[in-house]
Amino acid sequence: MDVNLMVEVTPLLIKAAWITIDISIRAIILGFGVACVLVFLRSLQIKPLQWFSRGYVSVIRGTPYFVQLLLVFYGGPTIGLTMDPFTCGVMVGAFNIGAYMSEAIRGALESVESGQNEASRSLGFGRLQTLTYVVLPQAAGLMIRSVGVLAIVLVKNSSLVSIISVVELTYQAQRLIGSTYKPFEIFTLTAVMYICIVYAVMGIVELAYRRATRYTTLVKRVQ
Amino acid sequence: MELDFSPVIAYAPTLLSGVGVTSLIALVVALFSVLGGLLVAVISVYTNKVVSWPIRFLIWLFMTTPLLLQLYFLYFGLGEWILIPALMVGVLGLGFHYMAYNADIFIATIRSVSAGQYEASRSLGFGHLRTLFYIIVPQAFIRSVPQIGNNLILMVKDTSVLSAIGVAELVYASQYAISVSFRPFEFFIVIAIVYYLLNLIMEFGQARFERMTADRR
Amino acid sequence: MTIETKTDTPMVEIVNVHKKFGDLEVLKGINLTVPKGKIVSIIGSSGSGKSTLLRSVNHLEVIDDGVIRLDGVQVNRPDMKGLAFERHINHIRQNMGMVFQHFNLFPHLSTLDNVTLAPRKLKGMARKEAEELGREYLNRVGLADKADVYPSRLSGGQKQRVAIARALAMQPKVMLFDEATSALDPELVEEVNLVMRDLAKEHMTMLIVTHEMAFARDVSDWAMFMEGGVVVEEGTPDKFFSNPDHERTRNFLRKHLSSQH
Ligand SMILES: Nc1ncnc2c1ncn2[C@@H]1O[C@H](COP(=O)(O)OP(=O)(O)OP(=O)(O)O)[C@@H](O)[C@H]1O
Ligand SMILES: [Mg+2]
Repeated sequence: MDVNLMVEVTPLLIKAAWITIDISIRAIILGFGVACVLVFLRSLQIKPLQWFSRGYVSVIRGTPYFVQLLLVFYGGPTIGLTMDPFTCGVMVGAFNIGAYMSEAIRGALESVESGQNEASRSLGFGRLQTLTYVVLPQAAGLMIRSVGVLAIVLVKNSSLVSIISVVELTYQAQRLIGSTYKPFEIFTLTAVMYICIVYAVMGIVELAYRRATRYTTLVKRVQ
Repeated sequence: MELDFSPVIAYAPTLLSGVGVTSLIALVVALFSVLGGLLVAVISVYTNKVVSWPIRFLIWLFMTTPLLLQLYFLYFGLGEWILIPALMVGVLGLGFHYMAYNADIFIATIRSVSAGQYEASRSLGFGHLRTLFYIIVPQAFIRSVPQIGNNLILMVKDTSVLSAIGVAELVYASQYAISVSFRPFEFFIVIAIVYYLLNLIMEFGQARFERMTADRR
Repeated sequence: MTIETKTDTPMVEIVNVHKKFGDLEVLKGINLTVPKGKIVSIIGSSGSGKSTLLRSVNHLEVIDDGVIRLDGVQVNRPDMKGLAFERHINHIRQNMGMVFQHFNLFPHLSTLDNVTLAPRKLKGMARKEAEELGREYLNRVGLADKADVYPSRLSGGQKQRVAIARALAMQPKVMLFDEATSALDPELVEEVNLVMRDLAKEHMTMLIVTHEMAFARDVSDWAMFMEGGVVVEEGTPDKFFSNPDHERTRNFLRKHLSSQH
């Protein structure tokens, strides 16, 4: 194990790790927006919009993320869609994970039993009020967990963006392996960084989950 | 913006051979990762910490780092020691990656088979290994079918990543055609459709297999 | 089909109501008039359409034909669409309290918040005022000390009493009870019945679906027996329970009275 080398390349890898984090955060936030739109379209009682939402999810989930990335980056200009690699990585990541997230969100919302909806409606609450006051607070826990799992998938998927020359972790790792011929050292360092990012996401998700599900453990409300 | 699919048609044989390689890789990796995952899981559950701990560590490592990074590591790492074709690296890399995911599931389902099953089998006179082989593992396997199916569906899509290390599967096979025809959009659309169809087949197969085994879960 | 009354507008009117689920006709022309302050019990075997009828009054089921009115205002409005109907039905429902077999308390809210949510958000009541009101209703169902507890910590009977308080807090014109005690252990039934009896004393208009004949006989002004989506027989509880006209009613009552005691 060449420790000197590892010390030497660490700053480079940390810099690249920031790109990975940056790209992931942007894609997760944007992807969540995409997911909400998909869920909304699916919930409308308008057939063509429902079909669009379902079709979109099916196509995105039925094709590899990698191919989507290549299609948009290399094929995009053909249809007037030119993006720099970083933006492309964010956009494709977001529109990809958005499809998966929409299913996760729908699943969480549907996990709240229908009696809750009926009880709320019978009190005179409208759909939106029922969603915000009754369904969402109960769905939040499951939603946070499953969106969290997808966020981790997204972090790992972001490594594929190296193919279109975004200098993120995997790109940097590959370049360093090629130039130093020390795959073990580079891999170890890079793996540690991915693991840190993944565990940071898990930690945030767990905190958010606890916050969202406090009511299940609380007995007394703090007055 | 004018689409022209004629180059795609001209290179249809290339694409078809790519589909063939993709399918072959998928098949081999499926077998390798499922059987390997099962074996790894059994070993990890039924041995002492000295053996099971490193196994769990490796499973965890494969699951928390990206596939592409693992592929690069294998490609360059193994390349240092032996001359090994990209295809081999690809199959091994993808195979180990999904072996870890599958093993993770098998471990959980093996543990979920109740202790009563083990006792019942032993009380009939089956030995430890026979009990595992005839009673525990088959039950765990059947319980794992839906999740393993999901993994295999993900795996087929991930075969595309092998193009990054030069495995001549569908995406890689099209690269030359794309570079001479300058028609990336058309090619990638067709490639996406092919994957979509493969995915449909996988989902169909998964649904059938799940139904077949449903009574025994 | 008339209940003697001196008030003019009936509180609930159900006129020739039909409802189908696919090919299954569950309500085949139901008529019922509930005057203000009166209590009607609906009984009948499983699957006879009792819940469907009650849920239709609350518009949780959309009826195919007929008219339902609350205090003179038509509930179902096939002529209205979209947001206009949403507003209409939300307003109507604020005047109706519904109590479900499985309570359907909001598990993420404390008992008090369960009761105050609707007054605060729908009537724009200030939190303080709403909480005073909420505590008052919790007190009425005997649960003043459980205000800050979450529903998961309550027994079934307590849950149902909170659910009743939650509905009452909107000061509804009518209360609908769909087998409010069916999901309870026998020893918890009486505490809920007691609350309902109190409401009866205060002349709350109530529509009660129940399997408890003794309670129905005791508390109601009118009893109705449904089977296969039609009203087989109805009448004052005295006549209905002691000397029903119809053979089917007699059979049903015999089975249920014997199984109860
Ligand atoms: N949403 C629905 N879709 C299809 N059929 C339904 C639906 N709700 C009720 N039904 C059917 O309508 C019939 C009447 O149901 P309902 O719940 O009104 O009966 P009930 O008299 O309340 O019975 P119980 O005493 O068991 O509560 C039943 O055959 C039931 O299966
Ligand atoms: Mg019912």
